[in-house]
Amino acid sequence: MMENLQASFNKGPSVDSSKPIKMKTKDVTVHYGQKQALNGITLNIPENQVTALIGPSGCGKSTYLRCLNRMNDTIDSAKVAGEILLDGEDVYDPDIDVVELRARVGMVFQKPNPFPKSIYDNVAYGPKIHGLAHSKQELDEVVHTSLRRAGLYKEVHDRLDEPGTGLSGGQQQRLCIARAIAVSPEVILMDEPCSALDPIATATVEELIDELRENYTIVIVTHSMQQAARVSQLTAMFHLGDLAEVGPTEKMFSNPGDKRTQDYITGRFG
Amino acid sequence: MSDATANGIADTAATRKPRRDIGINKRYAAERRFKAYGIIAIAIGLLFLVALLWSIFSKGYTAFWQTEIRVPITFSEQVLGTPQQANESQTKLLMANYPKLAREGLIKELGIDPDDKKAVSAASGLISSGTRVTLRNIVMNDLSVIGTTQDVWLYASSELDSAMKGQYDLSVPENRRPISDLQLQYIDKLKAAGNLEQRFNTGLFTFGASSRAETAGVGVAIIGSLYMMLIVLALALPIGVAASIYLEEFAPKNKFTDLIEVNINNLAAVPSIVFGLLGLAVFINWFHLPRSAPLVGGLVLTLMTLPTIIIATRAALRAVPPSIRWAALGLGASKNQTIFHHVLPLAAPGILTGTIIGLAQALGETAPLLLIGMVAFVADYPATPMEPATALPVQIYMWANEAERAFVERTSGAIIILLGFLAIMNVTAIFLRRRFERRW
Repeated sequence: MMENLQASFNKGPSVDSSKPIKMKTKDVTVHYGQKQALNGITLNIPENQVTALIGPSGCGKSTYLRCLNRMNDTIDSAKVAGEILLDGEDVYDPDIDVVELRARVGMVFQKPNPFPKSIYDNVAYGPKIHGLAHSKQELDEVVHTSLRRAGLYKEVHDRLDEPGTGLSGGQQQRLCIARAIAVSPEVILMDEPCSALDPIATATVEELIDELRENYTIVIVTHSMQQAARVSQLTAMFHLGDLAEVGPTEKMFSNPGDKRTQDYITGRFG
Repeated sequence: MSDATANGIADTAATRKPRRDIGINKRYAAERRFKAYGIIAIAIGLLFLVALLWSIFSKGYTAFWQTEIRVPITFSEQVLGTPQQANESQTKLLMANYPKLAREGLIKELGIDPDDKKAVSAASGLISSGTRVTLRNIVMNDLSVIGTTQDVWLYASSELDSAMKGQYDLSVPENRRPISDLQLQYIDKLKAAGNLEQRFNTGLFTFGASSRAETAGVGVAIIGSLYMMLIVLALALPIGVAASIYLEEFAPKNKFTDLIEVNINNLAAVPSIVFGLLGLAVFINWFHLPRSAPLVGGLVLTLMTLPTIIIATRAALRAVPPSIRWAALGLGASKNQTIFHHVLPLAAPGILTGTIIGLAQALGETAPLLLIGMVAFVADYPATPMEPATALPVQIYMWANEAERAFVERTSGAIIILLGFLAIMNVTAIFLRRRFERRW
C-alpha cells in the first residue's frame, strides 16, 4: 500500500509553496439543524494547485467543499459560520451575490448530472445565462474550447446535437467538467468526481484534472488515496468534522504527522 | 476441465447434507395465490366495465341514426305569399303554416283522400312537427323555391323513429302502442317506395334543447362545455402552476405553509356540490353574474380543478431529480433560471397530465352546475360565455328525466359523445406525455 502510494507521487508534481493563496477559510463551522458537521476548519487553498480533501465517510469533507461556493445555501437546515475568503473577499458577505460567486467557483458533482439536453446546449448553458458570448460564433467558440479542454471534443465533435445523457459515464463526467469550465471559473470544486466511473474513465479524468491545474484552482474530494496521491499537490485530511492534518501531498503520504492520517492511509480504518 | 467439474459435482453430491426445509413450497404457493387474487380482481373490474359500456352502447348507438321521410313539398303561394310580398315583409314567411305544406305533400305521396280526417291525422302523425323549422329555413334561404315542388327529407316523428328502430313491441293490441295499424301500413308503403330512410343524425350534434326528441341535440351543451373548459384551462392552469411553483420552490417551510398544504389536499376531497353552493353564493348572489352562464360554470369548475392541478404539479416538480437543480445552481444559474430553464420543462409532462385529468374531471361534473342554474332549457346557441347554456353532463341528466323512448336512446347517445370527448382528452394526455418526456 505505502509503496504504491510512494510510486504514485514520485511521478506526480510536487507542491509549489510560492503559489499565492486563492481561497482562505478561517474557523468554518457548519451545523445541520442541531448536529455540528464541521468544527472550525482553517485551511488555505493555493492558486493553480490541486487540493485533495480526504477522510473517512461522514467526516465533513463534502460539507466543507459545498461551503466554498455556498451550495449549502440550498439546504434549509444548514448554518455556516466562520470566514471564507475568495481573493480576500468574504463569500458570505451580503455584498457578494451567490450567482456571481458560483460563476467564479464552479462545481462538478459525484454523479455525472448533464442536463437532459444536447451536448452543445449543456456546455452553452452557462455562457448563455451569464452573457459571456455575444454571437453564435463566440458561443460556438466557447463550447468547442471547453470541450477540447475537457478532452471530449474528439469523441463528440460530430454529434454535438445528441443528448448529453446518451454518453457513457466517463464522457458524461467530462461533459460536466466542460460545462463547468465554459463559464471560465477561477476555482473548480469536484466532489468525488470519479466515484461513479470505471478505472479507465477515472484515469482519463485524473489526467484532465492535472492539465486543468494550469488554468484553474482545483479542490477535489476523494475517497481514493491513490487518486489523491496521483492528482493533488496539497492534501487535507478530515476526521469527524475536524481538520486532522494538512500538508504537501508527498509529505502526507510518506510521513504523516497525525496518528489519524497514518491510520487512515495505511488502511487501519476508513 | 469438464472432468474436474464433473468430479467436483459428484463429490459435493455425495457429501451433500440433507436439505433444510425453509418453506420454499409455501412461499411459492402464497405467490401463486396472490397472483390468482389479482387476476380475479382484474377480471371482475373488466366485467363491470364491459357491462357498463355494453349497456350504454347497445342503447345509445341508434341515437346516431334518425329516420327521415322524403316528401314532395309544394311551396304554394297560397300559404307562403308571393316572393314580392316576402321581399317586402318577412312576417308572413315566418308565420306561415309550414306543417300544412308537409301534411299535404305526404297525403299526396301516400294517395290519401284529403277529406278522410282519420287517415290524414294518422299520416301527419308520422312527420315531426319540427319540420316547421326545416321548411322555413329552406324558404328563407332561397325565395325562388316559392311556387315550385321540391323533394325534401323531413324528420320522422319520434314514434315512427322508435318503431323503425324496433323499440316498440308491435304484437300488442293497437290501442296499447303509440303507433297505429294504419300508420304501419303507410310506413310499409313509404319504405317500399324508398321514401323512408335512416340517415346519420347530424341534428344530435347541432340542435339545442327541444321537447321533441327528433329535434333535440347536444349542440348547445357542447358549446357550453367548451366555453367552460376554455375558462378552466385559462384560469386553473396558470394559477395552479404558479401556486405550486411558489409552494414547492420558494415558500419557507413553516406552520403557515403547512396549513396551506393541508387545506389544498382537503379541498381536493370536498364534494363538488359544495363548490356549486359557493359559486351560487359568491359569483351569482354577490358578483351578480348571470345565471346559467358558462362563465360562472367555468369559474366554479376552476375552483374545483385547482387542487387537482396543484397536487399533480407539485408531485411533478418534486419528481425532478435534485442533481439537475444542483447542476444549474452550481453553474451560477439563479433560482428562477434553475426553475424555468430546467425544472419546469422536466416537470411539464406531469403537469400536463395532471391538468388534463383535472379538465376531464371538470368536463364530467354535473352537481355544481345544477346549483348555478345550468340545468336549463336552452334552445339557442350562446354567442358569449355570458349567455345561458347547458353542459354535456347536465344535458344527459335532463334527458334521463324524460319519459319518451326516443330520449332513452338519446341519453345513451349523449353519454357516448361525452365518453368520446373524455377519451380524446386522455389520449391527448398520453400523447403529450410521450412527446415531452425526457429521460435523465
